[in-house]
Amino acid sequence: MKPLRLAVGLALVAGWIGLAWLLWGSVVPDRLTLPHVDVDGVFGSELVARAERFERFLLILWVLGLVVSLATLALYARYGVRFAEESAAGPLGTGMLLGMLGLAIVWLTQLPFTVVALWWSRRHGVSRMGYFDAVFGDWLALGATFVSICVALLVVMGLARRVGSWWWIPGAAVFTAIAALGVLVSPYLYTGLERPDDPGLVARYERLERVEGLHGIPLRVEHVSEDTSQANAFAFGLGPSRRVVLWDTLLDGRFSNPEVDVVLAHELGHHSSDHIAKAIGWFGLFALPGALLLMLATRRLGGMGNPRAVPLALLVAAAWALVTTPAQNVVSRRAEAEADWKALQATRDPEGARGLFREFAVTSLGDPSPPTWAYVLLDTHPTLAQRVAMADAWAARRAG
Amino acid sequence: MRRVSVEGPSHPVRLVVADDLRRTRVTVFFRLILALPHLVWVTLFGLAAFTLAFVMWLAVLFERRAPASLHGFLASFTRYAVHLTAYLSLAADPYPGFTGGRPYPVDVEIDAPAIQGRWGAGFRLALAVPAFLVASTLGGSVALGSAWGGALTGGVGGLTATVAFLGWFASLVRGRMPRGMRDAAAFAIGYGAQTTAYALLLTDRYPDATPGTARPAPELPTHPVAIAVDDDLRRPRLLVLFRFPLVVPHLVWLTLWSVLVVIAALAAWILALVLGRVPQALHRFMAAFVRAVTNLTAFFFLVGRQFPGFVGAEGSYPVALTISAPAPQRRLGVLVRLLLAVPAFLLASAFFGVSLVVGVLLWFAALVTGRVPRGLRDLGVVSLRYQAQASAYALLLTSRYPDSTPALRAPHPPAPDLPNPVAA
Repeated sequence: MKPLRLAVGLALVAGWIGLAWLLWGSVVPDRLTLPHVDVDGVFGSELVARAERFERFLLILWVLGLVVSLATLALYARYGVRFAEESAAGPLGTGMLLGMLGLAIVWLTQLPFTVVALWWSRRHGVSRMGYFDAVFGDWLALGATFVSICVALLVVMGLARRVGSWWWIPGAAVFTAIAALGVLVSPYLYTGLERPDDPGLVARYERLERVEGLHGIPLRVEHVSEDTSQANAFAFGLGPSRRVVLWDTLLDGRFSNPEVDVVLAHELGHHSSDHIAKAIGWFGLFALPGALLLMLATRRLGGMGNPRAVPLALLVAAAWALVTTPAQNVVSRRAEAEADWKALQATRDPEGARGLFREFAVTSLGDPSPPTWAYVLLDTHPTLAQRVAMADAWAARRAG
Repeated sequence: MRRVSVEGPSHPVRLVVADDLRRTRVTVFFRLILALPHLVWVTLFGLAAFTLAFVMWLAVLFERRAPASLHGFLASFTRYAVHLTAYLSLAADPYPGFTGGRPYPVDVEIDAPAIQGRWGAGFRLALAVPAFLVASTLGGSVALGSAWGGALTGGVGGLTATVAFLGWFASLVRGRMPRGMRDAAAFAIGYGAQTTAYALLLTDRYPDATPGTARPAPELPTHPVAIAVDDDLRRPRLLVLFRFPLVVPHLVWLTLWSVLVVIAALAAWILALVLGRVPQALHRFMAAFVRAVTNLTAFFFLVGRQFPGFVGAEGSYPVALTISAPAPQRRLGVLVRLLLAVPAFLLASAFFGVSLVVGVLLWFAALVTGRVPRGLRDLGVVSLRYQAQASAYALLLTSRYPDSTPALRAPHPPAPDLPNPVAA
């Protein structure tokens, strides 16, 4: 048995490394050196100070929330199994109940932090969302989260009961397939998106689409200005469901056309670089060792086929997510940097990019140069200072 | 006349039913028109009663006991409202008197004045709000309706209105009121009378929603679709708070399952027309679906404590729905099953309204106390049973018509599923 395990293990490690190497590729020049950016000079010292103050509070809140949620999950891992008495649903259903209750308790403990964060954002004019909407809407959204955890537990527990301790290999594969399916169908389920009513915007978008070698990806606008003043855009979907979405806060006159063009080109860059498909690949790569860890951690409780293991599994999953966050953020920042580079290539407008990132600092009160630990743990994008530096580097290469 | 007490003797307001189910077709046909003088009179009577109730309130606040004369007047009003509601809803047949002083086939006994607590009396209207909600969804009191000039809607709203509507047709055709519907209306009238008495300070005992606590209990006929409760009243607050999101996965699952059930029902209908019975496999598949829906509804409305399973396995839930094995069915009944099921669906929707109100009240009660009141829980069970019976009838799982008798625990095991005339 041991040689078989060794062989499987080696094959998996080799496959993991090979796939990671394939996914790691980027069009950003390997030896690109980002020039130093005078943050105070670019963004203004007053804005930088204000953004630092704004983000510092949110960071403290995040740390406190994290400690509380991990402590809650630790307590739940110890005592949560008592709730098994409240189930008449058999092993799988009981596991689902325990999973949902664990998330529900964490949600309850995070509620004060959510409210305080909202208060802070409202105080700084970043959010306009009402407290009732935030809490009650969040409570309703729990239902969707519960469906997700139920599906996840159905897969894990079902496989664990069928194939025993090897469940983590097909389990990771099934999770990846479910993630891919979710990405594929989510644009069709996403409501509230509208076609842009500005023909000029559409014409500029289509030109950028052609430049990036794409065709027929719909552009949509999401109306969020009632809830926030922050500006954002995103690309999502796979194959026929691909979309680019702009928040209407980008189109309210605060951003110039060249700045909006950089956003459009950036999001198209995600599609032209297949970042979403690559993200699914990375998801699978992180899911595999995560599932292995779950299997090992719950072995003494009878494995994941036993509902009594679910509370502990929640704690392990949360810890795994925290531990791997820096690595996942590295991957995400690399993709975002590549999209930035592609946007510069497509628009050939570093000034537009600089203006955009400056305006982001104003509208979102984002700290252009956050503390290193926060950057490592939280930032899925390069810092605003790094993004300005990339625009400068691109301009310098062009000039040189 | 056979006398059946529908409420427990320990409550100071007890409903007594001495109705023989026979109805005179001509008075049934003109029932609303015949009741017009009463509708005018009950409004005036109600105006006087609710004005005097304020004097009663002051008297109880100071003396802790209602003056006998006031108590007598308000008791007469309460009895009169019971008589009129019973007449309107076809729970009784004779034309009622105008004073509430004469005996009537659906009547209430009201105890003499007793000592009441001042706090309870002081906040009586606020305390009565949950009872008002239940009474309004049961719709068994013209007295409460007359308080705001809506005697008719207060008397025959909700469940009672549906019973009266269906009973009108049944009584015209058969000259008899179906027993289950009469008992359902009587139960609603009894609860409405207790609520009226509580609001008017005739008693400080809270209305009791327990169905079928009478001696002798209303006869619960054996039925192929039965429900048995083996559950306690405790409800962990965490599961109560998150009740709605917790059922979302079930809702997704049952939505997907229901698509297959529709196809199965169509197949069962065709095969039952050909074979004269539903094949075992289809019966089992659809019965599991009905059980799963009932289990989930019981959990959602806090009638059941435990989180239910997803597959509707028999005997898997403490509020256990049992559905008898398939039996031969008359082909004509199968052919027009959906048409025949329309009255049952109407009554089931009224019972769903009751379940909803019960669920909301149980949610608040359980969140505060960690328990649910037995009476409301049992009312929820009765409501769920009727809904399950209606679904089972429509899905051809049984040929027996749903039974709306408000009582729990059949005296005998579930009946074999034999062809049976409409029993409602």
